[in-house]
Amino acid sequence: MTREKETTLYLGPQHPGITGNMMIKLKVRGDIVVSAETHLGYLHRAFEKLIERRNWLQSFTILCRFCVPEPDPIELSYALAVEKLEGRVVPERAKYIRTIVSELARIQSFLLWYGGQSGSGGLYTLGQWSVGDRNYILDLFEDLTGARIYHMFMWPGGVRRDLPEGWMDKAYKTMDYLEKRLDDYNKLLFDNAIFQKRSQGVGIIPKDKALEWGVVGPPLRGTGIKHDVRIDEPYAAYDKIDFEVPTYEGGDVWARSLVRRDEIVQSISIIRQALDNLPGGSYYNRIPNPMKWTVPAGNAWAKTESVRGEIGFYLVSDGSNKPRRAHLRGAAYAHGISVLEKVLPGENIADVSFILNSLGVCPPEIER
Amino acid sequence: MDLINNLKEVFEIEGKIKNDFQIEVEAKKELVSSILLYLKNQHGFIHLNHMSCVDWIEDEIFELVYIVWNPNIRKTVMLHTKIDRNNPEMENIDTIWDQANTYEREFREMFGIEFPGLVAEREFILEGWTEMPPMRRDFDTKKYAEETFATRPGRENAEDVRETIVKRTGEEIPDFAKKYSRD
Amino acid sequence: MSNKINTIGIPTEEEIKKAQIDFSPRCTSAGRVNDKETQKMVEYILNFARKHSLFVLAYGTGCGAIEIPATMTSRYDAERFGIRGAATPRQADVLLITGYLSTKTLKRVIRVYEQMQDPKYVIAFGSCTINGGMYFDSYNTIKALDRYLPVDVYIAGCMPRPESVIKGFIKLQELIKDGNAGNGECYRDNLDWYRTNQQKIIKNWDFPDKYNW
Repeated sequence: MTREKETTLYLGPQHPGITGNMMIKLKVRGDIVVSAETHLGYLHRAFEKLIERRNWLQSFTILCRFCVPEPDPIELSYALAVEKLEGRVVPERAKYIRTIVSELARIQSFLLWYGGQSGSGGLYTLGQWSVGDRNYILDLFEDLTGARIYHMFMWPGGVRRDLPEGWMDKAYKTMDYLEKRLDDYNKLLFDNAIFQKRSQGVGIIPKDKALEWGVVGPPLRGTGIKHDVRIDEPYAAYDKIDFEVPTYEGGDVWARSLVRRDEIVQSISIIRQALDNLPGGSYYNRIPNPMKWTVPAGNAWAKTESVRGEIGFYLVSDGSNKPRRAHLRGAAYAHGISVLEKVLPGENIADVSFILNSLGVCPPEIER
Repeated sequence: MDLINNLKEVFEIEGKIKNDFQIEVEAKKELVSSILLYLKNQHGFIHLNHMSCVDWIEDEIFELVYIVWNPNIRKTVMLHTKIDRNNPEMENIDTIWDQANTYEREFREMFGIEFPGLVAEREFILEGWTEMPPMRRDFDTKKYAEETFATRPGRENAEDVRETIVKRTGEEIPDFAKKYSRD
Repeated sequence: MSNKINTIGIPTEEEIKKAQIDFSPRCTSAGRVNDKETQKMVEYILNFARKHSLFVLAYGTGCGAIEIPATMTSRYDAERFGIRGAATPRQADVLLITGYLSTKTLKRVIRVYEQMQDPKYVIAFGSCTINGGMYFDSYNTIKALDRYLPVDVYIAGCMPRPESVIKGFIKLQELIKDGNAGNGECYRDNLDWYRTNQQKIIKNWDFPDKYNW
């Protein structure tokens, strides 16, 4: 039949085309991938062991570093889980501010994804534009929280600070600017015949098996199934805001890119609605003695929606001032290992990096 | 809820409602895979959300938790079970959901729980690890870190940086910095 | 005043005794300026060319890799200094260790560092390379980078802003101009000391005995 042998290729830890520090061991025959195996462990820091040694307040410093490109949903999941254990009530203004911060984090992560997806396909201009525009959102974060990337802003009981003066005008101006730029990205990427041809029919996830395989987030919505934590189990202020959840049929890289493009437009509209209807009142339900704070015994499971899918936190407390067990379910836990090993056989070697970027695999989240 | 009553009839286990979206159930270790198959096929809980393990060293048990989700009615079931800590063994549910393979590999490496029938490489995240499974409560991570890795001297405790420098060199803390010292 | 501040980083006698390993040879600055006038002039011109075209290896080893795209693109444009990315170790000049290193990654980083060709420079980002950072009690991350690899410039922060990153590169350019950077030869001369430290933490050691560069 064919006289080509099988070769082993290590798409290794040092490679310009992988999203983070991971290794994929490919067996190829000619140009076609026969089987794939993911190897992880290059970024393991033993977070869960470290959280068990710190008390409830001190673990905030390391929580954000779980997922490097988008740290905010993890803080929010932890805060929601602790509030479920304690029964703490969050004021209305804090809920709206949490919504605004989550959506801003979503937009900046999508802009970074634009760079990765088009760069792995060979188009390098879009990365320069979108990562450059992302700096405007990081400026907004810096005015609000003090840091560009790791904010440590959303605590159980509310948020840490109120909106500073002049922040709302700046936010409105940034949203107007971003909306104009989205047309440019559309023309460059989505009307591009090369990108369309490369991404249609590549990396298909079948619709009837997607939920069984554990697929969540934009890859799930790219197969035609409409599920989103913000409408299934609403948290923060999402039940009071009007928005849509885009879904497209097909299950290939093209459908997932369309889902992500439409979600940016929805995020901009959510931020505008939240800023228009921002209620007054306090922003923080104060914890009475933070260094001696204890949480009643029990367990809690809380989910939020991030760019990659749903991030869940399973928290167990035994009544003392340190958490007993904090276990994060990263959104890419199933995408990176079991789904990738099923989707890759039959594809070209040149498409491996393309599919990795579209599934949204983020190794620090998988191995914590 | 009729799901709880149904499970009570078929398997004789107790369940309770945690909040609007979550139901909590506890069962013995031998019944776990049949309950999960029953929930998946008869009641539509087709999505495995999470599996977790907690080490209760005082009671000498490991507690395993399985969290499954039904996309049609949007409800979650959390299934708890307890296994013995001195001889930990649990059934492999790889055939029901594929991503359980990854979870079980991680528990085998981090806690030392054996899953007979699990087909996967032994080393998953750690490389060349010869000590006890690191997530158990009796593994002291700070002691291990101090013995193995070379540290940089000068910051052995958490004293204030400015005060340490003052003790070494005899300088004075300037006035603008005094109000930020930890007093 | 400035003399007193300079003595803080160097350990005292009791600290050396208390430390676990021998402090003796530590590659900090390798002066390669020669006596003869023509050699000095040639080195000067070569260093001028080297400092204006630094190729950085595309390897995101830890957290800090998230500020690298921001440094290389339009607002904080690092390409105006001649800094751009390179795909393989044989084509790169600078190895950026962005953040913490787990023991599994350290083995690959050592291999990559030994494959790079002279003159090669190492820039260490973040507080995790200085003293372990916030993972000081983790069983899988290393605590002080320069026991395992020679380092030229440290950039402090968690994580450093793009302006700090560019300032670090400018400091490296000044060191190159004075002939004080590039520790490949020093690494080879003190290979035994580095190897004892590395083999202490890397358990499955399978490097060949005599690595011929």
